[in-house]
Amino acid sequence: MEKVLITGISGGQGRLLARRLQERYEVCGVDRVPWEGHPRGIAVHVVDLRKKKFEDVFRAELPTAVVHMGFIRHFRSAEGLRHDVNVRGTKQLLDHCTHYGVQNLVVFSSGYVYGAFPENPYYMDEDQPLSASRSYPEIRDLVEVDTLASAFIWKYPHIRTSVLRPVNVLGSFVHSMIGEYLRQRRVPTVMGFDPMMQFIHEEDVCEAVALALEHGLQGVFNVTGPGAVPLHTAIRESGGTPLPLPEPLVRPFFERLFRWGLWPYPTGALDYLKYPVTLSGKRFVDATNFRCLFGLEEIFQSVRR
Amino acid sequence: MARRRSRRESSALRDLFGAFLPLSVRDVGSEIEERLRKVPTRLNEFGYDAFGLHLDTVRQAAVPAVLLYRHYFRVETHGIRRVPPGRVLLVANHAGQLPFDGMMLATAMLMEAEPPRICRAMAEYWIPSIPWFNVLAARSGVLVGTPENCIAMLEAGECVMVFPEGVRGMNKTFDRRYKLQRFGLGFMRLALETETPVVPVAIVGSEEQQPGLANLPRVGRLLGMPAFPITATFPWLGPLGLWPFPVKYRIHFGEPLRFEGAPSDEDAAIQEKVDVVRHAIEDLFTRGLAERRGVFR
Repeated sequence: MEKVLITGISGGQGRLLARRLQERYEVCGVDRVPWEGHPRGIAVHVVDLRKKKFEDVFRAELPTAVVHMGFIRHFRSAEGLRHDVNVRGTKQLLDHCTHYGVQNLVVFSSGYVYGAFPENPYYMDEDQPLSASRSYPEIRDLVEVDTLASAFIWKYPHIRTSVLRPVNVLGSFVHSMIGEYLRQRRVPTVMGFDPMMQFIHEEDVCEAVALALEHGLQGVFNVTGPGAVPLHTAIRESGGTPLPLPEPLVRPFFERLFRWGLWPYPTGALDYLKYPVTLSGKRFVDATNFRCLFGLEEIFQSVRR
Repeated sequence: MARRRSRRESSALRDLFGAFLPLSVRDVGSEIEERLRKVPTRLNEFGYDAFGLHLDTVRQAAVPAVLLYRHYFRVETHGIRRVPPGRVLLVANHAGQLPFDGMMLATAMLMEAEPPRICRAMAEYWIPSIPWFNVLAARSGVLVGTPENCIAMLEAGECVMVFPEGVRGMNKTFDRRYKLQRFGLGFMRLALETETPVVPVAIVGSEEQQPGLANLPRVGRLLGMPAFPITATFPWLGPLGLWPFPVKYRIHFGEPLRFEGAPSDEDAAIQEKVDVVRHAIEDLFTRGLAERRGVFR
């Protein structure tokens, strides 16, 4: 039986994926925090991806496949920590993959790496430049991780590596920034803007990762869900009320709140509430015959308060 | 539950409001609804297509457009049957300071073409950054004019209207009316790539709707606008000074043109094909101008 190592296994998405893969693979995982009550048969190591102990896990477990989703996605940590953990952690992981005979690697990137701009075409393919850091420097670590992993595909062609860029992930277990945002009672938006947004259910994301592993995919792939709706529709369907605020007011206001730790999103995130960032998932579907099981209504139902 | 109730209330409000509208306006509303029902679109369970088009919004936005179409510009169309079914590029002249010509062409395709079509317009890159307007535009079928978007639309079999003169045409001065400005080449490359027929369209009337005396693009740039026209009424009457005179519109559709060749050809080769379209529009101009009785009637 093949052995899969999942980084970030204690997160909502990691736990789902571990359970999903358990039937087919021997599963082990690492995370910075423990997974209380993890299922039998899944070994969970509490390590920092940047430290030597992480390499010990590779040496002991000798996984044949690795799913890398151990990223800090929130902005609560001290400045620079998020970047260091995400980028240097990825670098370490890639090195270990080359040294310990890993054959199959899936890196869980993000659809945000393209950036939100007025000139964005609809349904961007994987060849679009990754411009997120132009207007949203706080997530440049995600762009750097994606770039590191994409370069790895070409440097080590004998390791089957795929980089997945899913659209907004929602679900009952996953802790996504967009999920927290939609779960608010009154959801601030930018007045006069209502971009189309794509969503995908956490279970479908697990399915996509599993398919990437099974097919031994190599390359960069957008992973898209059942479709797109305007932001305000998404908010209402998730049980919230949109609270449109004028932009000249909203920017300085939220910037201060964010600096004081009272608001979880940097102002760069506002552009994602203004301009569409829609991806084409055609390449992934062509490669794997992926079909998502959860429709938009079920997706919004899963984050209803 | 609360959501459903509020929806019902808002529709009741709409009915109440509707009761006070003149009969002709209500007729227009139901007529548009009738036409929209025949439009082939792919909408999701929330009523939006993949690019943000929303038929309810189109219906509401179309009411003033149809009133302008019938009673203000009194639009006449010639040869609208020539527009083939399936993917098609409508290439038209652009004039008149504000894009009423685009609005009237789209209205013509909705109200007079068989079956009715919703024109997808390719807009300037700064349109999505204008609050409110960007939402209205997206809901009624306007997209940012990137090549990717245009190809996606054509491959979906949509009717796309383009104004290759762009701002150059819209803000030209009165002495250059009915003289086509330089055409962009992009539309032809896309037509070749997607093997899309091109229908030349001449809009007679818009060129006189708001005669430009001068254009001060530098002042425009200071104000974040692509142009700053000086007309008899603008900027002296404020933004209202751009409102068009009640000219009569005559929209002439030409025979569909089909082109063959490599979309990556050098500019000179593409330019030849673009000139064919350009001359076709000029011919339609000549005919349209000779036939018309006057600017306002």
